[in-house]
Amino acid sequence: MTRNRLLWILWITLTLFLAGAGLARLYIAGDRTVLTPGQTDGVHHQLEIACETCHTSSAFASQSKIRKDINKTCTTCHKDELKEADDSHPTKKFTNPRMAAYWDKVDARFCTTCHSEHEPEITQAGLVTLPGDYCVACHSEGEQDVRVNRPSHEGLTFDTCASSGCHNYHDNRALYEDFLVKHAGEPALFPDPVHPVAAIARTRARPSVDEVSVYLASLEVPAAYALDDPMQHWAASAHAAADVTCATCHAPKSETADEVEANWTQAPGEAVCATCHKGEAKTFALGRHGMGRHPEIAKPRDAKKTLKALGMKKPPEALVTAIETYLSDDPAPEAVMSTDRARVSLRPEALGKDLTCATCHAPHEQDLDFAAVGACLTCHNDDHSLAYEDSPHFKLWQDETAGLLPPGSGVTCATCHMPQTERKGVVTTNHNQNDTLFPNEKMIRPTCLNCHGLAFSIDALADPALVANNFSGQPNRHIEGIDWAVNRVNQPDEGANQ
Amino acid sequence: MTQFTTRMKAAIVGGAMALGGLTAPAANAEGMDYETVSDLLHLVMASDRAVYTRLIVNRLQNEEGVIKASEHFMDEKALVLPAQMFRFGAEMVAEETDEFTYSLLSLWPINKQNAPTTDLEKEGLQYVVDNPGEPFYGEEELGGTTYFTAVYGDPAVAGACVSCHNDHKDTPKSDFELGDVMGGVVIRIPMDG
Repeated sequence: MTRNRLLWILWITLTLFLAGAGLARLYIAGDRTVLTPGQTDGVHHQLEIACETCHTSSAFASQSKIRKDINKTCTTCHKDELKEADDSHPTKKFTNPRMAAYWDKVDARFCTTCHSEHEPEITQAGLVTLPGDYCVACHSEGEQDVRVNRPSHEGLTFDTCASSGCHNYHDNRALYEDFLVKHAGEPALFPDPVHPVAAIARTRARPSVDEVSVYLASLEVPAAYALDDPMQHWAASAHAAADVTCATCHAPKSETADEVEANWTQAPGEAVCATCHKGEAKTFALGRHGMGRHPEIAKPRDAKKTLKALGMKKPPEALVTAIETYLSDDPAPEAVMSTDRARVSLRPEALGKDLTCATCHAPHEQDLDFAAVGACLTCHNDDHSLAYEDSPHFKLWQDETAGLLPPGSGVTCATCHMPQTERKGVVTTNHNQNDTLFPNEKMIRPTCLNCHGLAFSIDALADPALVANNFSGQPNRHIEGIDWAVNRVNQPDEGANQ
Repeated sequence: MTQFTTRMKAAIVGGAMALGGLTAPAANAEGMDYETVSDLLHLVMASDRAVYTRLIVNRLQNEEGVIKASEHFMDEKALVLPAQMFRFGAEMVAEETDEFTYSLLSLWPINKQNAPTTDLEKEGLQYVVDNPGEPFYGEEELGGTTYFTAVYGDPAVAGACVSCHNDHKDTPKSDFELGDVMGGVVIRIPMDG
């Protein structure tokens, strides 16, 4: 055998071996981190390693089937959010064949047309991967030309539609024309501003020291666990007021003292909290703090099942064992988010923390100040967070906690980023703290409008410097949307009733 | 086709749509020509639409003044507009099947997304305005697929239709009268199998 032939055989063998190993990892089992085509954006990085969360098609599916399947997974997770947003451009609006002419411009039947993952070099805020003037594709011609009936829009460039504070592609609940007109002329700050739902949540009679002592004396707690401080704190909490006792969390489903002793868990897990706080647990898994628990994240692959999916009806056990041995298990995304993996600016001393219920909520205390402010500022290190304690909003919170202002007057981090809702007397705190974060106009209706007029809210949120200093001052920008909308309605010749 | 036969077939198609899932119309339509299938689908749509407009919106808003209808029905805790109810139904159908699609369009749309987008839509909408009571049929290729397209005139069946359209700030036409064709229902069925 010549040397060249030997080298050829060696090269082909090595190539086949490497290709086989790569394909096996890609399609059967094993860690695929090195095969990821590009970093994913936003919260997706927390589930990036579970490829099947988005890539659900079979290995040999057609390109069009793959596109349809991937886009289905977008709505699997984001469906409720888009429904809540009263989506202005739902994909179903574009599937009718009468929209075919638009498919060649921006194919809005598919989320991935505008949101293409694994492309960090072209990804903008909101995981948008189209150039910022994408509105021009459909709204610059014919009946859809926004300038035809709106002289105010003449001369505007299309890269400002969604970047100026005037419009969003999906969520325009606070920006649609009739809403602007309805809220025209509102003052920057309403008299006696109070967030009504926060007021309900914060209005709770606190028991006196004597009442706490009497209550504690009436309880049976295993002697070894009857610690003074936790019990004092707990007895004054809403948990105690709702008759959520030591055993409810430390020994669930235990009825007798012996059962409590036998089933006692010193540090109950999140599942215990979620037993009662279902809404909070559900929304926690939708935000960046708790995304690892999201129920739609794909489970690690099973080698035997993937071989069957590839057409091998009865995969030999030896092959399955070999794959599991040499490719190792499919890694799963970590269920608990850690500050080490965060992609936002955090305080160095906050690194290494896991994010669970107890990270922000001390187990026995119901310390609103820590849960609503302190916990956030323990970690977050960006300008907006650092400026909070010098802001007018914080001053209101201080005055409320000092009893100088009524409940609901103070504006905490949670007031804006974890807005509360009330239904049938029950207040639920949205634990998806990203829900109203981007675009920030999503925050206007659940939060800002409780205290501020619409024009001020829009202007404030459109001023990046004001956002950065945590709203210490007045907006330096004025968004003319309300002026234009009112003008159009009041002067039909300008567009309405054309 | 007699009125009775048409109603019976419409009831069968409507019942199949309601009870048997939305792929049923194609199965029931086996052997029927596109025009008949389309006529029957339209009969169900137009009947439901007229009932909602007359017995819900016109009665409660215009006659009894109990509740108003508004395009911002969520914010204003109001009734859904008849045109919105029709569109929501069409979108729900589109999520379930691509055997047929339908839309409510007009040459004078308040919402500009309901303006005609294809040449055949423009031709059909003009035809049903010029020939009240007569449907328009045609074929067109859209996105690489050939469709049978039918357009049916959509007349103002109640005072609520006329008053809302004439008074709306975005209407391009403010002299509609009861019975006028204000737009058209466009039904499409793919012909490529």
